[in-house]
Amino acid sequence: MKIMIVFFFIALVICLFYIQCLQSYHYSELSKRNRIRLLPLIAPRGNIYDRNGKLLAGNRLAFDCAVIPQEFNVDDKGLSRLSGLLELSEADLKKKLKEDFVAPFIPLIIKKDIGKETAISISERSVDFPGLIIQTYPTRHYPNSNVAGHIAGYVGKISEEELDVLREYGYKPMDLVGRGGIEFYYDDYLKGESGGMQIEVDAKGRELRVLGIREPSKGRDITTTIDIELEAFIDSLLEEHNGAVVVMDAEDGEVIGLVSKPDFNPNIFVSSSGYRKVTDLLGRSDYPLVNRAISGTYPPGSVFKIVTASAALDSGSIKHDEQLDCKGSYALGYRTFSCWKKSGHKLQTMAEGIKNSCNVFFYKAGRKTGVDKIEHFAALYGFGSKSGIDLPYESEGIVPGRSWKKREKMEKWYEGDTVNYAIGQGYLLVTPIQIARMINALALEGQMISPFIVKKIGDIDVSGSHKSWLNISGGTFNVIKEGTRRAVEDDQGTAKHAGVPGIEIAGKTGTAQAGPAGTHAWFAGYSPAGRPKISLVVFLEYGGSGGDKPCKIAAKIFKKLKELDYL
Amino acid sequence: MYNISYKRGFDPFLIILPLLIFGIGLLFLYSASRGMGEIKGINFMFRQVAWLAVSIVMLVVIINIDFRRILDWSYLFYVLIALALILILFIGGSRMGARRWLSFGWLTFQPSEFAKLAMILTLSYFLGNNRHSIRDIRTFLAALGITGLFCLLIFKEPDLGSAIALLPILFAILLCSETPMRFIIGTILAGLIASPLFWNFLKDYQKRRLLVFMNPNMDPLGAGYTVIQSKIAIGSGGLFGKGWTSGTQNQLNFLPERHTDFIFSVVGEEWGFAGSFLVILLFCLLIIRILSVASRSNDIYGRLIVSGVAAMISFQVIVNIAMAAGFMPVVGLPLPLISYGGSSLITTWLSLALVINVDMHRSVF
Repeated sequence: MKIMIVFFFIALVICLFYIQCLQSYHYSELSKRNRIRLLPLIAPRGNIYDRNGKLLAGNRLAFDCAVIPQEFNVDDKGLSRLSGLLELSEADLKKKLKEDFVAPFIPLIIKKDIGKETAISISERSVDFPGLIIQTYPTRHYPNSNVAGHIAGYVGKISEEELDVLREYGYKPMDLVGRGGIEFYYDDYLKGESGGMQIEVDAKGRELRVLGIREPSKGRDITTTIDIELEAFIDSLLEEHNGAVVVMDAEDGEVIGLVSKPDFNPNIFVSSSGYRKVTDLLGRSDYPLVNRAISGTYPPGSVFKIVTASAALDSGSIKHDEQLDCKGSYALGYRTFSCWKKSGHKLQTMAEGIKNSCNVFFYKAGRKTGVDKIEHFAALYGFGSKSGIDLPYESEGIVPGRSWKKREKMEKWYEGDTVNYAIGQGYLLVTPIQIARMINALALEGQMISPFIVKKIGDIDVSGSHKSWLNISGGTFNVIKEGTRRAVEDDQGTAKHAGVPGIEIAGKTGTAQAGPAGTHAWFAGYSPAGRPKISLVVFLEYGGSGGDKPCKIAAKIFKKLKELDYL
Repeated sequence: MYNISYKRGFDPFLIILPLLIFGIGLLFLYSASRGMGEIKGINFMFRQVAWLAVSIVMLVVIINIDFRRILDWSYLFYVLIALALILILFIGGSRMGARRWLSFGWLTFQPSEFAKLAMILTLSYFLGNNRHSIRDIRTFLAALGITGLFCLLIFKEPDLGSAIALLPILFAILLCSETPMRFIIGTILAGLIASPLFWNFLKDYQKRRLLVFMNPNMDPLGAGYTVIQSKIAIGSGGLFGKGWTSGTQNQLNFLPERHTDFIFSVVGEEWGFAGSFLVILLFCLLIIRILSVASRSNDIYGRLIVSGVAAMISFQVIVNIAMAAGFMPVVGLPLPLISYGGSSLITTWLSLALVINVDMHRSVF
């Protein structure tokens, strides 16, 4: 019996030697993991400002109301008062307390983002609600709501797929990442570096002391070229119209205004009640999240006649004083292509053709020039390629041609296609920002400037754009500019509604066939006509005639630009 | 029926070793209850010392009465404990679904602890009286019945650990009484064969504990929590431990039941392997000393009592430590002399008193 007992004791010592001496490192690690918690300290994102230092996107403190179940001991009367304070029904409150329970010491959030006032009034009554805590953390805030929403973009919690890719770049679970606009494009700079706290906790998860702390560092601020006052003004002009407006500084490429309608309120992506609104937004058939100014592609209609004119004049297919006759329609084989004016424009020069936006003139000029030259000049003016603006999801549009049609449609190019091409119809698709770059190149007589929207990251100046010269003769520009100037200034000019007394404006309208639903309406112009400072594009989806609403809106914008001292 | 006896001196280590172990236990009771004192409003150390004082008084009384006179009372003692165990099923104080306590005002006591003592006395008395018919199966079956009744009653509480703890006492006394081996081995085999049936009588939490022993991570926050945390505590102690009162598992409340059944985890965490070894060594020396009392006693009753005590203490020590270190399923058994609890402490000291008594009252012819 003695031997048996001693044997058991020796076995016990050997077992203990095994776990305490041979495996002690393993268990030490486990015991550290037990008692040390890493609390992330969320770094606030950098702010986004407009050109005058007004806030487009910033941070605010969010307050979550939570309870520690272990310590939460409130009677029914207390619960009903709490439900009153939180504006949450008592049944919901009880349901939450029951269903969201994880462990006695893990805080259970009963309402997210309750707002500062509610948070304060609850804190003042904290004696009545033992175990109730308010958790605070920084979250994103967009003071202008819908205005400039497409530019600022929005943020969301990082998804698992994103995290897999971005982990090496310092992203952590629960981080906010940019999902659109500048928030997305400049996420690397805007996102700060999260800090953390090492806290010793006891078995109930109570924090006992701080073992170490690394302060979070805020992301870098970004200053844009946008003028939020102009932006709000344009937003109000568009009212219920869908469409886009681009206002660009002609000489240096700064985008002063960029509006896309319909728009959205970026705040809903971070607010607690926003989930349903986001779902609604994503389900809408008019795609409010799409920034039409840079991502929407449309037929340009007559605005494209500037390109056709450049090709015709510069290739010598049409002389600047050569007159072409318009009888109201144009016959090609058995098909008839009509002008918008049934009675016809009679004999016109190129400048008059632009002023009148005569279709027949450009059918003839286009056929004389040929599809290859039109395609070449369209590409020269930047169609079919991105403008390079520093915003995400820009579209390239489509510049058709013989080989394009063979490749995409398996068909040869017909003369009828050229006729449509010449007046900006057919397969051609462009974005409003491409039209802005084109009209700007005309205004500067051949200098192509790529638009940009961010001019400062932190204190570092990042403004400046890519500039190049088009290989088109000065004479060509003179004729076209003459036409666009007269289009606004002449009583008979198609863009006469864009005119503002005291401001020299030149421009071109467009009314593009867009299926049975109607026509897209364009205005593209610049001012002052002599020494341009501003280029402007107004685009209205199914907005009727280009000479009507877009021109009237453009006139108001030019007036406002004058007020704001841009002209 | 008994011979003239002489009072003699006794082995002083039978007092010194338990006091040393108790002293170490007190140190760790202090360390383990530091954070609890405020919450529960009980000064564990004070109470434990008070129980020690009661124990020592009882010890002094008992060693002055010849154990053979005590044995005459053993059947009465057995019946009283049996009644207490029945009573407990109806009015016992319950804790975590088990009724194990009888309360008299502020005093609570755990009859299952005293049942061990009653078992030792009754079996020794019965088998001693029947030493001439020891080869008779009826004697053996009667001994089995004496144990079985207690086992059943304690198992009903339910307290699996204490019920099982009676079995080594039975086997030790049977072995010592020269009961034929075939009876003992036959019983063990029958028990093993019947054990699958026994599974159905277990409470759900007992089944869970056994399953969790196979895989503690099955239920890491529930039934497996204590084992996992206890193993972490002991393992993280390393060779020399984290230092007295500096064990993070202990001080930060990760160890449940750390002042009672799991107090060895605190020893292992704060004093490391060295401390664990010391405690086991002291127990081992104590058991050797107890067993040598049996071998120098020439009284059959005395030998039976002493071997029962040795079996009781060593079984509890081995099972308790193995359970804390995660080598055995969790059964609620205290670590003698170290775990907090009056009933266990008094029972241990009383059993030691019996051993001293036997040593002092060696009979001469």
